[in-house]
Amino acid sequence: MTMQEDTGAYLEVQNLVKYFGNDRAVDDISFAVPKGAFLTLLGPSGCGKTTTLMSVAGLHAIDGGRIRVGDVVYTSPSEGLFLPPEKRDIGMVFQSYAIWPHMTVAKNVAYPLEIRKVNQSEIDDRVAEVLALVGLTAEADKLATNLSGGQQQRASLARAIVSKPRLLLFDEPLSNLDLKLREQMRVELKRIQNEVGITSIYVTHDQSEALVMSDEIIVMSKGKIEQRGGPVEIYSRPVNEYVSNFIGVANLLKAKVRDSDGSGQGVVEVSQDGQTMTVPCQIGPGIGAGDDAVLSVRPENVHAVREGNGNDDVEGEVTHAIFLGNYVDCRVKWGDFEWKVIAHPRTRLKAGEKVFLQFDPEHTLAVQP
Amino acid sequence: MTTETYSSNAVERSRLNNRLRAMVTQENLITLVVALIVAGAVIVPLVVLFVSSFKVLDPAGWDTTWGFGNYVTMFTDRIIPKAFVNTLIISSGSTILATFLGVSLAWINARTNCPGRSYLEPYNLIPFFLSPFVGAIAWHNLGEPQTGLLNNLAREVFGIEGAIINVDNIWGVIWVTGIFFAPLVYLFVVGSLRRMDPSLEDSARTTGAGLFRTTMTVTLPLVMPGILSGAIIVFVTSAGEFGVPFKLSAPYGWETLTTQIFSKAVGDDANHHMGAAMSMALGIITVFLIWVQQRYIAPRSFTTVTGKGFRPNVLDLGPWRWVAFGYNIFFIMVAVVLPIVCLIIVSLHPVWTGKIVLADITTINYVKTLMWWHPEAISAATNGIGNSLILAFGGASISMVLALVISYMIHRTKGFGVRMLDFLSMVPIGFPGIVLAMGVLVTYIQTPIYATLWILMLAYITRFFPYGQRNISSIMLAISEELDQSSRMAGASWFTTLRRITIPLLKPGLFAGWILLFIIFLRELSISIILFTTGTETLSVGVYYLTNFENEPLTSALSMAQTVMLLIAIYAFRRLAGREALTA
Repeated sequence: MTMQEDTGAYLEVQNLVKYFGNDRAVDDISFAVPKGAFLTLLGPSGCGKTTTLMSVAGLHAIDGGRIRVGDVVYTSPSEGLFLPPEKRDIGMVFQSYAIWPHMTVAKNVAYPLEIRKVNQSEIDDRVAEVLALVGLTAEADKLATNLSGGQQQRASLARAIVSKPRLLLFDEPLSNLDLKLREQMRVELKRIQNEVGITSIYVTHDQSEALVMSDEIIVMSKGKIEQRGGPVEIYSRPVNEYVSNFIGVANLLKAKVRDSDGSGQGVVEVSQDGQTMTVPCQIGPGIGAGDDAVLSVRPENVHAVREGNGNDDVEGEVTHAIFLGNYVDCRVKWGDFEWKVIAHPRTRLKAGEKVFLQFDPEHTLAVQP
Repeated sequence: MTTETYSSNAVERSRLNNRLRAMVTQENLITLVVALIVAGAVIVPLVVLFVSSFKVLDPAGWDTTWGFGNYVTMFTDRIIPKAFVNTLIISSGSTILATFLGVSLAWINARTNCPGRSYLEPYNLIPFFLSPFVGAIAWHNLGEPQTGLLNNLAREVFGIEGAIINVDNIWGVIWVTGIFFAPLVYLFVVGSLRRMDPSLEDSARTTGAGLFRTTMTVTLPLVMPGILSGAIIVFVTSAGEFGVPFKLSAPYGWETLTTQIFSKAVGDDANHHMGAAMSMALGIITVFLIWVQQRYIAPRSFTTVTGKGFRPNVLDLGPWRWVAFGYNIFFIMVAVVLPIVCLIIVSLHPVWTGKIVLADITTINYVKTLMWWHPEAISAATNGIGNSLILAFGGASISMVLALVISYMIHRTKGFGVRMLDFLSMVPIGFPGIVLAMGVLVTYIQTPIYATLWILMLAYITRFFPYGQRNISSIMLAISEELDQSSRMAGASWFTTLRRITIPLLKPGLFAGWILLFIIFLRELSISIILFTTGTETLSVGVYYLTNFENEPLTSALSMAQTVMLLIAIYAFRRLAGREALTA
């Protein structure tokens, strides 16, 4: 295999364009991934994330751009380059697991090594080693069809990593599992990826999966990249309404930027059904004083208190409050808008109460609409 | 300046070359070549047939002029308009009978507690695999007024004067065609009935609807797309059926389009251009109906059933279950048992007079039709067996390879010509064998392949490879494309993936499709009858020859031989393909 000590871009996707008929499924996107990193492409169905993955895999021919891994150019239509999928040295885990039903688990896992003409004793060693890593040693000689969903998933992962490929690709691998197994497999997958250290791209529409597993997340919509960053950044500093809405839960209100100091601090004004409030907050990139914006506040960052401090407090009425043990899920009506508020159980908020809402400027954001 | 232009041109050119090279992949090349071959095989005969139908033969039979004369003749001729009407009557009647039988039997087997259902089902399907032509021969010997076995039994046992039945007429054609094509409807309906969510029926019952009412207002409407599909297929197949009207109605004054096309293809009355025009007329009707079925009816048939794999509760018929049982037994008797028993009896007599004469029993008919080394062997029969085996083995094998390649192209590649390939592999299904054979005849009559087995092989494959293709396609659709893709990702080339993953997964379907085609080719009549010459007779042509120029016992002997070969193949088919293979 090529040894690439470069810590910069290992996988580089430049200006990728892919059409389906007249639709631009992927619309001129670029990103780079350092060696060994775990990148997640996150977005709703139809956002182009799977198309991007298939383009890296070589299962789609792309219409424009360039994909490179290490010093190997996978595809570049303008240069007339297209490396067929089998020449790309990639391990891939599919949504349906794609475990071949006419082979045993060990045979499935041995297949990539047989294709690479590895000698039999080494195949046996590698297969045993990888099966142990995924915890399927006991199932080696079972037919693939006799495995449970979670076991098929592990077998599929074993097959993908057995040949120590340049890249690992995951196409929504956990979406067919039930919730409990899914949560368990998230951690397991991440552990194995860490252990083998193969650069990975993971496609999912499940935001919590993305947050748990990724070093970096790319949020996509309509074939374009909306935001790229680490899980914490994506969650706490979304750059626009779309990302705030897609990741987690947020209170989103139309706002106008009144003041911006240019270094990210400012004040916005929000009008709702005749009421107006001005909120000091973080101003996201791409907006300045006078611009339309969207105020985005996570429910856990809205504080509902009985005693206001007099000046700029927002007064609302609790419409319902559901006690959930470790927190109280509240709705507070302010004009036409219902705030989602997560309150501490000790506050004992009840439906019908008047409360004041307070915002912490550190965790209150104005973002692009 | 000049050097710059030159070099940028060179870059441009090398990019173009690279692009071309990227497009010339294994996949694209093979798709293109296969599409061209299939286009040649499917489209050329139909175009030549179309063109030929506008050539009008002069009365002396020497020269032709261009014009619509043949189409005018279809309306002014003494016989052809009647043949048209007869074809419509026979197809409509057969469709009604086959649909009634097929739906009722499917319902009994899938939705009720009729005793012995699982044992009856295979027998219900047997007529689907046997030759309707042989069925007509058997029923002729059962229901001919003077020499019919049933009529003679009625006279001897019950002392009835005259005849109780007469099948040598248009009603006999409807009867035989109807019972032989009932399994077609059965197959279209039984799968959906079996997979139907029983709570749909249960909820009707809870509203107070009785068994009959539930069946008529809930069960049958839910499978209506399947019923309609089956009915259309039966109508089209009946319209293209040659053997049954040739045996039962044409000799007694009821010509049909197919018997008329046949008379224009060979014999004293031959006029290929007139035959081409009539084939066009028949082809247009069948293509239209198949188009309606494929476009509007087939796509709806999956929306009414749930995909769950549960075994639905069946309806308790109470004492009526024995009526259902008797009805099913009656069908198997008239469609399978009586015809075969009759063939055996007749084939063991030197001459057939309608009476069983134990003292006369002989095997001479089998000697003459099967033992090619025997001095009295009839070459049309013995040639037929050899030729049909060659055609069935060779044709089924070539068809399945072609079908595999085409299915793969359609479902797994994005090469050029894939859509054309998909369309082309639908076209032959719309044309009755006799129509396509007429096209092949006028296309190749002046080439060296005419009068060889190759022309038969070509026509067989062109007409029937779509069945193999659909067999494979349905499995290929059920197998996730990711199974192939993951092999590519594991480093295997396209061809290695095909060899190690795709084909092993398709193996059961490939075998089932092969045997299905083997069966179809072994009994094929309406293509063979147009394209055979002395020396290239097939099994069914041998039967035709014997029934036309020899006697009923010899005919029955060869029919029996064919039936036994088919029954063996059916047994193999069931072993390999299993119960659900056909209903999928």
